[in-house]
Amino acid sequence: MVTIADYRGKVKPDWCPGCGNFAQLSAISGALTDLKMDPKDTVVVSGIGCSSNMPEFINTYGFHGIHGRSLPVASAIKWANPKLNVICYGGDGDGFFEGTQHFFHTAKRNVDITYIVSDNQIFGLTTGQASPTSELGMKTKTTPDGNIEKPMNPLTLALTAGATFVARAFSGDAIHLKEVIKKGIEHRGFSFIDVFSPCVTYNKINTYDFFRKRVYKPEMDTKNFAKAYEMALQWGDKIPIGIFYDVQEESYEDRSPIIGSKSLIDQPLVQLKPEDLAEFL
Amino acid sequence: MKTDEVVVRVGGAAGDGVQSAGLIIAKVFSRSGLHVNTYNYYQSIIRGGQSWYQVRASDRPVRSQGDGLNILLALNRDALERHTNPMINEGGASPLGKTGVAIFDSSITDYKKEDVQYVSMPLGDIASRHGKNALMKNTVAIGATMAAIGMNFDTLADVIRDQFGNKGEVAEENVRAAREGYDYYLANFKKLGIALKTSNKKFYLISGGEAAGLGAVNGGLKMYVGYPMTPASSIIHFLASHEEQFGIFVKIPEDEISAINMAVGANYAGVRAMTGSSGGGFSLMVEALGMAGMMEVPLVVYEAQRAGPSTGLPTKNEQGDLNLVLGASQGDFQRIVLAPRNVEEAFYFAREALNLAEKYQTPVILMSDLYIAEHYETVEKFDLNFKIERGKLAQPGIKDYKRYEYTPDGISLRALPGTPGLMHNEDSDEHNEYGDVVSDAITDPALRAKSMEKRMRKLSAYIKSMPPTPTYRYEDAEYAIVQWGGTQGAVEEAVDALREKGIRAGVVEINRPYPLNPDIGKLLSGKKKIIVVEGNYSGQMNKLLRSEFLVKTELITKYDGENFYPGALAEEIEAVIKR
Repeated sequence: MVTIADYRGKVKPDWCPGCGNFAQLSAISGALTDLKMDPKDTVVVSGIGCSSNMPEFINTYGFHGIHGRSLPVASAIKWANPKLNVICYGGDGDGFFEGTQHFFHTAKRNVDITYIVSDNQIFGLTTGQASPTSELGMKTKTTPDGNIEKPMNPLTLALTAGATFVARAFSGDAIHLKEVIKKGIEHRGFSFIDVFSPCVTYNKINTYDFFRKRVYKPEMDTKNFAKAYEMALQWGDKIPIGIFYDVQEESYEDRSPIIGSKSLIDQPLVQLKPEDLAEFL
Repeated sequence: MKTDEVVVRVGGAAGDGVQSAGLIIAKVFSRSGLHVNTYNYYQSIIRGGQSWYQVRASDRPVRSQGDGLNILLALNRDALERHTNPMINEGGASPLGKTGVAIFDSSITDYKKEDVQYVSMPLGDIASRHGKNALMKNTVAIGATMAAIGMNFDTLADVIRDQFGNKGEVAEENVRAAREGYDYYLANFKKLGIALKTSNKKFYLISGGEAAGLGAVNGGLKMYVGYPMTPASSIIHFLASHEEQFGIFVKIPEDEISAINMAVGANYAGVRAMTGSSGGGFSLMVEALGMAGMMEVPLVVYEAQRAGPSTGLPTKNEQGDLNLVLGASQGDFQRIVLAPRNVEEAFYFAREALNLAEKYQTPVILMSDLYIAEHYETVEKFDLNFKIERGKLAQPGIKDYKRYEYTPDGISLRALPGTPGLMHNEDSDEHNEYGDVVSDAITDPALRAKSMEKRMRKLSAYIKSMPPTPTYRYEDAEYAIVQWGGTQGAVEEAVDALREKGIRAGVVEINRPYPLNPDIGKLLSGKKKIIVVEGNYSGQMNKLLRSEFLVKTELITKYDGENFYPGALAEEIEAVIKR
């Protein structure tokens, strides 16, 4: 019987007190526990950033790689051993700046992994610079006169790229967060979950209060792409959270004759025979 | 010109069928039990330009493209003019000597040169009698070529049938066209005075890229992830076309950064995976290479050099990436660099690279270059027996598992994800024996030093196990010629030429550039001169040898995008010796 204690890593998280990442660590651990998954069967893959330290704090297999590059690592782990449950986790800087093209193409491929982004709209670990989701006009160390770039919308990008599960949650609503993560893990294909995760140290605008006043959970038609896209564009006084889009399509693995039907790791090694070289005679 | 070998050059524009004509000719020679070496001269262009394909064959081993040629098969006027005039890249001599012939279509009437024997043939007219495809005139010309050398027509007919996939009528049309070309030549022109001793030997005709791919399959490769870039394409084309046959997953992702991270991910999960590119793509991979070094994830990167810097000469050869490969990524970590000297060695090194990566849990870079990767050579035998060594893998049941345990040999048990009870974190941040990060909350200088030392001592067993550095005609050599990688053939043939003149030169051949075998120091000591020959501007291997062994060296370089030609190289070496 798996309990949440089984997922507790031996290293204590060193995030700032109040950081949104704590709720996500609990939600991921809770979701895996609820799904009765053995800790040995999950790999948490991350890049670099405050949130990317996650693999150190959770008792699963962990791969803490380099900034922006977690998705290719995670994809290949899944391709090598499809029995593993692969969760990719990182921040908005990691995923939507350096990692943008990997984000786009992993969604396009519909790789069967879960990608959770702790979106705090700022660079935390490098002490407070504007990120790809920082709001227009936001003052940071690198934008002392206010950010002159508009923020990108991770949800519409994921939808455009072809993600088959697109959701948004909020670290201030832990129960909902856990449920969304569970659905994301269960989804076969690429699941993307953008999580509002207030940075209590460097982002004084997008605080817990900011989101509590704005987030709401509308009923959404998760099979309708156009409606999902429309909902994803909503921003302002009311910001929707929940599952925007959830459709079942063939995953990348399903379409591959090599990795779909059989696990690469379980395949016996090829024994080359002289007849394999006949084409060169 | 020697009479026991032949050099045929097919010249034309891209789209003229130069390469396929050259490959048919090469295959006829290899099927006749002759040693073959080919050379593909082309540009980064799909149609037009001026390319040529050279095939050298003999009953003795031929190790380079050779000097000069006997038969020019000119598919257009430009080729005829170009290859009968002095060429800068071949030492200024006309590549077609007085004993050779130029075969071309008789529609080219406005070009003549005194010292060349012309074989003007109605190639197009003959071809049109047998089929509609305009490229069939090449087949007619190939028939004539085979007649000029005195090759058996049946072998050519077999190769043509194979080439056209035994597609009934098309293949037969081509066989008939070749036959008429063959007969036309014999009826109207004299055979060349070439005496090739054909044999019943079975040779594989294979490129370095294909051989590396085949070697990797033999070495247990299950995944290859790369982005297209000449000359690293030949390996991925070979593997992709054999995906189902060998059960190999081949993938072109969004960029080279993704490619290397995927290869790392697969290796981490326990599947042998490789990535590859040329210098440009490798430059993008640099950060992740260091990650594999830090996280001690096995990794093989195939790095096929071309002439740089930057986009450089995409279809030309160079050995300019040694510094890049040796210095790639920040900080110190261990890497093994292999540089096969020829096509055959590319096969053996590819599979060895996969073993080394898992045994030492560190990146292995398998270097190649445009010449090795793309040219075809005959190989008599591939030994397919190979023991796959997966290194230290952790089994369930270990108490207090330490992924990065400080072991005497610097290598620790690797637990693959999914192993019960051995959950741990692998980290690109500096970490302790468990994989826990020591860079953030607690910085422990003594521990950092220990982790560093653990990783840096892991190659000591490899260095002890290295085979002796190969040499050529070295026992009584007074002059040490040092080569590395793909220049082997040209350098050995240059040394043969020097030996004929009584100059006692021998070759030290570096096929493992890093770590360098300590025996090189002994090999180089006591020589009258040490002359390093390499295909780059600054002498990258030369500098490495000087710093590692504190030797005084002379340097011969070539950085015009072309291979060394043995004849011109022999002259250069002689000049350095006499200097």
